[in-house]
Amino acid sequence: MMDLFGLDLTIINDVVKELMPIMPQVILIIAAIIVPVFGYGKRKGITAWLSLAAVTSALALTIFLIYDSYSGSFLNLFEFNEFTGFMMLIFMLVLFLVVLISLTESENRKHSGEYFSLLFVATIGMTFVAGATDLITLFVGIELASISSYALVAFRKNDPRSAEAAVKFLIIGGVSTAISLYGMSLLYGMTGTTELAAVADYLAAGDFTWVYIVAVIMLIAGFGFKLALVPFHAWAPDVYEGAPTPVATFLAAGSNKMGFIIFFKIFLIAFVAAQTVGGVPELQWLFAILAGVTMTVGNIIAITQTSIKRMLAYSSIAQAGYVLIVLAVATEYILAGGLFHMMTHVFMKGGAFIVVAALCARGIGEYISDYKGLAKRAPLVAAAMGLFMFSLAGIPPLAGFASKFILFSGAVTAEGTWIWLVALAVINSALSLYYYARVVKAMFVDKGATTEKIRVPHSFKFAIAICAVATVAMGLYLGPIMEICEAAAAAFFAMV
Amino acid sequence: MPRKVMTMIPIEMFLILSAALFCIGLVGVLVKTNGIVILMCIELMLNAANINFIAFAAYLGDALGQVFVLMAIAVAAAEVGIGIAILLNVYKAKKTTDVDDLTILRW
Repeated sequence: MMDLFGLDLTIINDVVKELMPIMPQVILIIAAIIVPVFGYGKRKGITAWLSLAAVTSALALTIFLIYDSYSGSFLNLFEFNEFTGFMMLIFMLVLFLVVLISLTESENRKHSGEYFSLLFVATIGMTFVAGATDLITLFVGIELASISSYALVAFRKNDPRSAEAAVKFLIIGGVSTAISLYGMSLLYGMTGTTELAAVADYLAAGDFTWVYIVAVIMLIAGFGFKLALVPFHAWAPDVYEGAPTPVATFLAAGSNKMGFIIFFKIFLIAFVAAQTVGGVPELQWLFAILAGVTMTVGNIIAITQTSIKRMLAYSSIAQAGYVLIVLAVATEYILAGGLFHMMTHVFMKGGAFIVVAALCARGIGEYISDYKGLAKRAPLVAAAMGLFMFSLAGIPPLAGFASKFILFSGAVTAEGTWIWLVALAVINSALSLYYYARVVKAMFVDKGATTEKIRVPHSFKFAIAICAVATVAMGLYLGPIMEICEAAAAAFFAMV
Repeated sequence: MPRKVMTMIPIEMFLILSAALFCIGLVGVLVKTNGIVILMCIELMLNAANINFIAFAAYLGDALGQVFVLMAIAVAAAEVGIGIAILLNVYKAKKTTDVDDLTILRW
């Protein structure tokens, strides 16, 4: 028995052991409480560095837990396994990048403590969704992430665009919450429990009574809003355009993934549970159609955009369509591909948004025409942007190609008739090259009005470098990351 | 004890009430243009779901539904808190809370 000054230290040991599954979140919760306090002090710069330290330690702990193949559960509400660890890794990486680019962000100077605190709270919500084993955890996690995102979008208080985007986000988010909560109440009424496993069993039975149909429609509609699937996507471009660019980075690279986890946890588990009787073909076809419509509409509207942030928003919608193929096919291999694509998407889309944010910070506009002649003005940044664009379009040997290849090949090799969906996805990829290449053309071919050099702040340079290296490395050398994805997918399938 | 009450009022009544409330809220969100009224309509929809939870919890003799409602009420309160702040902010910027006047961001 350890003791110090007569105090029994084993109790600390017990508490740490009990809290171990949520330790990374505990670090973020403490940081979210402490950081705003320093925002009221004289030296406000300290909030940013404190946040960076907190997120780095949470990220390191998450990586350690994954490396250790740790698994454990907290109060039957939260379970840490390889899948949870992988998703938490994604969210922590996004948070790390966003905190990094907010270091020199002058517009947040006045309330930087609150800004970082809200970022932390949103990430805590997402990570709880990642490990939720109960509808209650899932609901509270989603709302924690959403409500802090509303405040983050409105953060540039004096900018009418930011205010307008926040109102749109708030109303659509609130309605989607209400719709999905109503669906959850019906599920609770039918199953008598709020455990996700019981819900999955109920959905897997596929008896198509009216309650079942209403509940499924409400869940798909409610969560489809969060994910910006096509009939429910109209808010996303407005919000990404109006939000401060670091926040838009956070939403596009981070929150978007939360929607996938919800769909995986509710529907994919049900499809897997029903696999012995051939899945739930009606719902899987519904998701296949949603995937097809989402990628096609996203890509077609993206072509007509002149604002780079709106173009990236529509491209996010299209990318969500690709990942939705996972729900239609529902095999372990394609889930690994989907997770890999989510990981590469963090760096490609995150990187592109960070470049936009860096140029915004130096007074370059948000239209594609403002990027003319950028290769002369900031050669390295332009090269990185080109890299991200080609990776998003899926040009080998970049990460976007590798992850799309694994995703699509998973659909081809699976049993079932999903070839048409893959064909549609490939056509869409080819289509998307048009608008990605337009940005590259503006930067490298077109002549700009001036050739004056742009000096990008150091923290942005560092973040862009991380994204660029990851985009190239994951394309060329995908063994290790694919191994983690496969372990995550296996852990997810073991939950059934 | 709760079961006795339920034998007097069938569960369908509660479900019809909540469905009606939900539809009123949804129509309100779609039709009204004042931001504050829209927030109130969203509250109606959330409370419709809460009625469902409570009715099912009483019918099943299970406390989990009531726990869920407590969470949902807390979340709804937080959402309205943030919502009013955002609408105040938009009122400062544009001197209106009419959502039809929010027309800067268009595709």
